[in-house]
Amino acid sequence: MNLSAVLSLLVFSPLLGIIVLALMPKQAEKAIKIVGFLGTLPALFLSLAAYLHFQWGKDLADFAVAKQWIQFRGLNVDEPYFAVNYELGLSGFQLLLVALTAIVATLSAIAAARFVKKEWKGYFMLFLLLEIGMLGVFTAENLILFFIFFEITLIPTFFLIGKWGYFEKEKAAYSFLIYNGLGSAVLLIVIMVLFAKTGTTNIDLLTQMMADPSAPLSSDLKLGLFIALLIAFGVKLPIFPLHSWMLKVHVQAPPSVVMIHSGILLKIGAYGLIRFGMGIFPEQFDQLATLIAILGVINLLYGAFLAFIQTDFKMVLAYSSISHMGIVLIGLAAMNQAGVQGAIFQVVSHGLISALLFFLVGILYERTDTSLIENLGGLAKGMPIAAGFLLAAGMASLGLPGMSGFVSEFMAFLGLFEEMPWIAAVGTIGIIMTAAYLLRAILGMTYGKAHREFTGVLDLKGVEFVPVIVLMLLIVLIGVYPSVLSSPLQTTLETIMPGLGG
Amino acid sequence: MEFVHEGCQAPCSIKGIVIMMENAWLIPLFPLLSFLILLLFGKRLKEASAYVGILFTLASLVYSILVLFERFSEPTYGTNFEWLTIGDLHLTAGFEVNQLNALMLVIVSLVSFLVHTYSKGYMQGDERFPVFYAYLGLFTFAMLGLVISPNLLQTYIFWELVGVGSFLLIGFYFYKEEARAAAKKAFIMTRIGDVGLFIGMILLFWQTKSFEYKEIFAAVDAGEISTSMITLTAILIFIGAVGKSGQFPLHTWLPDAMEGPTPVSALIHAATMVAAGVYLVASLFPLFAASKTALLTIAVIGAFTAIFAASIGLVQTDIKRVLAYSTVSQLGYMMLALGSAGYVAGVFHLMTHAFFKALLFLAAGSVIHAVHTQNIEEMGGLWKKLKLTGPLFLIGTLAISGVPLFSGFFSKDEILAAAWEGGHPILFLLALIAAFMTAFYMFRLFFMVFTGEARGSQKHVHESPANMTYPMILLGVLAIIAGYVNTPWFGTFLGDWLVDGNEALAQHGHIEGPVWIMIAATVVSLAGIYLAYLMYYKRSLARNWLSGTGDTLHTIVLNKYYVDEFYQLTVLAATTAISYFLRFIDVFLVEGLVKGVVGIVQGLGRAGSKLQSGQVQTYGAVAFIGLALLVVIFAFTGGYLR
Repeated sequence: MNLSAVLSLLVFSPLLGIIVLALMPKQAEKAIKIVGFLGTLPALFLSLAAYLHFQWGKDLADFAVAKQWIQFRGLNVDEPYFAVNYELGLSGFQLLLVALTAIVATLSAIAAARFVKKEWKGYFMLFLLLEIGMLGVFTAENLILFFIFFEITLIPTFFLIGKWGYFEKEKAAYSFLIYNGLGSAVLLIVIMVLFAKTGTTNIDLLTQMMADPSAPLSSDLKLGLFIALLIAFGVKLPIFPLHSWMLKVHVQAPPSVVMIHSGILLKIGAYGLIRFGMGIFPEQFDQLATLIAILGVINLLYGAFLAFIQTDFKMVLAYSSISHMGIVLIGLAAMNQAGVQGAIFQVVSHGLISALLFFLVGILYERTDTSLIENLGGLAKGMPIAAGFLLAAGMASLGLPGMSGFVSEFMAFLGLFEEMPWIAAVGTIGIIMTAAYLLRAILGMTYGKAHREFTGVLDLKGVEFVPVIVLMLLIVLIGVYPSVLSSPLQTTLETIMPGLGG
Repeated sequence: MEFVHEGCQAPCSIKGIVIMMENAWLIPLFPLLSFLILLLFGKRLKEASAYVGILFTLASLVYSILVLFERFSEPTYGTNFEWLTIGDLHLTAGFEVNQLNALMLVIVSLVSFLVHTYSKGYMQGDERFPVFYAYLGLFTFAMLGLVISPNLLQTYIFWELVGVGSFLLIGFYFYKEEARAAAKKAFIMTRIGDVGLFIGMILLFWQTKSFEYKEIFAAVDAGEISTSMITLTAILIFIGAVGKSGQFPLHTWLPDAMEGPTPVSALIHAATMVAAGVYLVASLFPLFAASKTALLTIAVIGAFTAIFAASIGLVQTDIKRVLAYSTVSQLGYMMLALGSAGYVAGVFHLMTHAFFKALLFLAAGSVIHAVHTQNIEEMGGLWKKLKLTGPLFLIGTLAISGVPLFSGFFSKDEILAAAWEGGHPILFLLALIAAFMTAFYMFRLFFMVFTGEARGSQKHVHESPANMTYPMILLGVLAIIAGYVNTPWFGTFLGDWLVDGNEALAQHGHIEGPVWIMIAATVVSLAGIYLAYLMYYKRSLARNWLSGTGDTLHTIVLNKYYVDEFYQLTVLAATTAISYFLRFIDVFLVEGLVKGVVGIVQGLGRAGSKLQSGQVQTYGAVAFIGLALLVVIFAFTGGYLR
């Protein structure tokens, strides 16, 4: 079966929405919102179709595309061409991230329709462009293409934060751009060195070449490149101490953008670390595994302790993201099947949970004009359904069994305990702290006495139920029946693991 | 999904009639359905929600009883299916019906059913009536799921879920600050323990490559795990039990948990969830039995908790808090039993305690329902007004005090015998003193509530409605007769059955202690009652008789040995200090780094802007030099840099 066009269609389908939007008048608020929402649907359906395709026992390799794209060489005619091809592909891991992106993007479009109050046309055009970038990042099969899509995500995000954010939106947008720009610069250097040294940027090819001991790269150079990758994706993840930009973004960006940012964009860092860091440089990853584990525990605890004393719920969630990304590092550092699968689960799980939490924050902020914990309190009285979902989302985030967060946390720790039990044991303090800071914040807002009267505060209504229920169902589904995620991952694990020598 | 049948050995496949046990997974499913239905339609069902909850738990109860009866004649049944694949690791989920969990299924579903029924009267008129029943359903589901888990991971999963059920119900009156604080405290303190269980479980996994109890026991039996590893994992798992069962030093959440509605205290914080720690140790008993150190740790913690909590119970004035400390103390008893290798003793007391403590809490609820206060100083003289509650409360009090012929007498005797035979004379003595204290504070409670003159403002005191009294009557009957399933006089049916066919447990069956232990226990218990009688009924002894030497001791005990304050000053303060220290780092070091990065970028920008002088000649010159350089490089290298 030839499905090679499907993937390109999937990645570029939001373009259709952009074109339609471009032709629409600026004032047609409702129509713009509908088109913006519809624009995300083709990617959603196609990615779900791809998932079913896999579950029906068919091969994901059917989706691979490879077309000649750019070629160049020096003036000597006998030199080989440097070729950058247009190559897209799907592995189980990529499939999950594409599906996650499509789902969160659709729900974020619904959130945007609720929360964005001005210039809808510009918002949705940028938003759809951002979706193209994200889908491309996760399907690109060569580094140049990956880099191009990666850059495509930066620019719309910059404008979305800078224009539609809260009070200090410009500052947040610039700090986002500077940090991520520097990260991309480092990434570009790595890609160029690899390209120059090996003559290819195809990821699979590079992976094979690096496994070959006669590869034209010294181990020192490889280590240097790996550290550079760690920094480049460490900015994105983020790894302490490269995190301060994302705090600003979490607080200042509009809720619908934070859903995307925290749900998907941070995950590009994890994806890069797994696909390129671990895939292309397994030996170097192994060399630095202890360091990565320690960084993971630092992230986990640093985020958790700081979340414990925040006064703004958004900041609690921002630090919580840092903390949860620590679990990704912990799982990866274990370098065994349990750990890596745990890390990947955490990527998906946190994507869903943080999207849910930020959507609820958006609701709360819209209703009460504040996200300061001390200004809230007793919200469970006025808005019991929203408060209930907030508590449930918090439970998911703190790793309650039966929800996705537990499965990932459990596997990451299971993996690390096999390799580095002491570091893992220190990390488990994070499990307690997560419960402490989340309950402090959530009970602070929803339980107890109301600090002021919220007149006319409305509970969840209408279309707002869609993101909340969809996300919650997915979170519970993964928690109860984790095979929905683990079955596509098994082949990915098998391909990564030989490189790890285990 | 492939079902792998296990534990069904040759004889059972020949007979093949284990229909009840085969479908035992239905038992936890009923309350889950109740939870889901009430979550979705509770608002519309209003007070009818109670019937949904009651019917579904009744289904669980009936089914549990059928399973128990089937288990009498059939061997252990279990089944597994694959839950999660991690490369070569295959983790399973499933269920098992052995003696211990068949018994637990009945205890849990029975108490849950009775509490469901009772709550219909107790919670009448509450705005969030359906939510209450939904939470009860969730908790019952989790607790029953915990009980039939065949492996550690699944146990952990439900272990956490019962914690949530408990958390939600403690915080049921969410608008009360105390309820919020208590719910938060319960969750976090039990989670501290859970992390111990979590680590222990994972370490065991890497020893045996399995979470299955059977595999773990087999590995322990075959000596595949080093003794130090067994001790370490056993103690880590025990830490989980310490958290859940309110053992010292993680006990402080349990008395605070009394902020929840009283039926909840009966179900969760007396009969079922808090006993889960004891149940966990019991179901992993072969692991613990393989480490002397682990057993001794359990015995010491148990005995200490028993006397420590009992001493606090002596001076509390809140009816529910007295009962809460008594629960902590009784759980300590069970731990002492298990730690002294008295497997049957521990499980036996778990069962009798579930009945008489649930009874006491429900009766206390009935009292609170009648007088609208929890302070025993404001009660008194209720014996004549609460004609049913009074005698029932007395039955519970007699049972917990270990008065002969009541259920608590037999199980407590078994524990004391276990402690003595286990070679712990000091712990035995502690337990005996704790028994004295128990009898004393329970009768102090009884006399202050039911006898003497009415204190405080009591108006319109009347007995609770039938749906509240019937569950209490049933529990009252059980509190009397439940002990006779395992007595030195009429046969040790329970003990023999519990260890039947299980080699690892065979030597931990019923323990026949010397006769003087039974006499000593009786004397001690009667002495405690007599002292309470003198002080609180006859009032011939001054109430500060015990703390006559000054008030220091009294104050310390009244303030629960300042454990909460100690945690406040150490753990909480340290956590906050670390947090602020890290914030300092975040604000100064990390932001400093940011400023550095921004500075470099800005510097580069400024340098770049200087180049843009606007002089076309300069531009031309620079462009020319650049081009010349490129040509030179090309000439030398013939292409790109190598």
